[in-house]
Amino acid sequence: MSVQPSVPEVQNDSIEDRLYTVKYDDPGDSHLGVKVPSVCTDSCETTDCVPICPADVWHRADTDSVPTIAYENCLECSSCRFACPYDNVSWEYPTTGSGVTYKHG
Amino acid sequence: MTDQTTGMGQTLLEERAGDAALESPNYDNEFDAIVVGAGLAGSAAALTLAKRGLEPLLVERGTYPGAKNVFGGVLYTPTIRELTDLDSAPLERYIAEKRFSMLSHDDETAISIKPGEWNREPHNDSFTVLRGDFDEWFAEQAVEAGATLVTETTVTGLIRENGGIVGIETDRPDGEIRAPYVVLAEGGNSLVSEGANLKATESRENIAVGVKEVLEFPENDEAIQDRFRLVGDAGVSYHYFGEGAVGEAYGGGFIYTNSDTVSVGVAYSLEDAATKHQTPEETLNLFKSHPAVAPLLRGARTVEYTAKTIPEGGAETMPDLVHDGAVLVGDTAGLVLNNGVHLEGTNMAVESGYHAADAIATAAERGLTSADALSSYADALENSFVVQNLERYGWLTDRVEEDRDLLFEQLPSAVADAGTEYFRMDRAPKEAHARAAKQRIFETLGGWTGAMKLAMRYRKLVR
Repeated sequence: MSVQPSVPEVQNDSIEDRLYTVKYDDPGDSHLGVKVPSVCTDSCETTDCVPICPADVWHRADTDSVPTIAYENCLECSSCRFACPYDNVSWEYPTTGSGVTYKHG
Repeated sequence: MTDQTTGMGQTLLEERAGDAALESPNYDNEFDAIVVGAGLAGSAAALTLAKRGLEPLLVERGTYPGAKNVFGGVLYTPTIRELTDLDSAPLERYIAEKRFSMLSHDDETAISIKPGEWNREPHNDSFTVLRGDFDEWFAEQAVEAGATLVTETTVTGLIRENGGIVGIETDRPDGEIRAPYVVLAEGGNSLVSEGANLKATESRENIAVGVKEVLEFPENDEAIQDRFRLVGDAGVSYHYFGEGAVGEAYGGGFIYTNSDTVSVGVAYSLEDAATKHQTPEETLNLFKSHPAVAPLLRGARTVEYTAKTIPEGGAETMPDLVHDGAVLVGDTAGLVLNNGVHLEGTNMAVESGYHAADAIATAAERGLTSADALSSYADALENSFVVQNLERYGWLTDRVEEDRDLLFEQLPSAVADAGTEYFRMDRAPKEAHARAAKQRIFETLGGWTGAMKLAMRYRKLVR
């Protein structure tokens, strides 16, 4: 009884593997965008779009740049639209059944 | 699916193949009402409208009803039971145990409730469900009652005439569809409603971000019943608070048992995700890896990873529910209750869809579409458990937010430490252990005075 019980390993997949569990139909064009690029480059110092995203959609090289958008990762949760303090995220529903299709939900 | 279900995507493909018999149908002015979104609020509305003899069109942007829908996992069914026969519903497990657990960095202190009554029909009307199965089934009930469902069709805007809503614009060719009433059941990401100025964008302080995994236990068929101590169709709903659940954020974690899988997730303030740079994915990983959680999930494999936002503004930020020619229901109307122990939304969505449809059916009998004529929906919802519960707990969210460090960080540690002291095995008398335990709690609460103040601050909880 002297051995310290350790916490068992649980499987925490990479975001790539997690996104791979969701069926996705690429609409071809991004349903996400930045409304006014200069708001990102000139005003935004906090880059809130990056940490709030559950799907690793948003990336930003530095606080002088406009974020890049990996829209094909998007799980359509809309966090970015609410989180941007400058209301600078444009968000449209993917059309004609494209985007994510959850099996379980 | 019955033959009244039309996958417009498929219709268009066949049209391109030259099959003239399957032309895209023209729905303009063919329906009594349009319901935007085949989630639980939308299908409840469509089902109720159809039962009242109206012909609703139910428009869903996903490939099937449920394709875009996510929730934690427990559905409360008193209203659905009134609307349709639940016997054929794809329910996973009934809730036989609720467990509330405070997690510090590496401690757990929990309360479990397992009333015998929950094991008997109707199981307190509490069931785990998976939305992909359940929403599709519920939309089918609406279709069987006479509603027409179209999928893969995105509503892109509303048609307004003389100030009132008279129809929808869609992404389909000649996509305008007019009808006397539009029910907006598009979810919390309410692009159509906001675009038509029927509601304001919710501020991020009132939004929670949730991520969830559905997990399976490969080659271990007994894992769920053994680990959660289940017999037959019994299931559990485990809720977790504190630093060990969601780090520094305001929110919680959960585990719900489905038939052959478990749903595991976290939901917490979007404001905290942004300001504390706490990503949803990392937060989920830490929760799953907590010493009190990991043994339940050992060996599990991810079947699906999902995310959603949850409108938690409550009664204060609820938009106007009724407009000329249009009503807002479900998440679009911000109908979610989260007071820590009660986490509800889908039941409120169903209730709102029912009342909205009831008001429309009554107005339609008089040939009226104005907001005035539809105001009985707002009145009915105000008098229902939906708004009454939101108003009852409206004060709580703000207060908990003020006390968050105490409630979510200091107190879980103090309670765990006090338990450790109280049950300590050494050669000191129990009196010394009890004193140490009490002291640990009191130093956190600020003595008797602090404890009394805290009790006063939350006295309304037991009123």
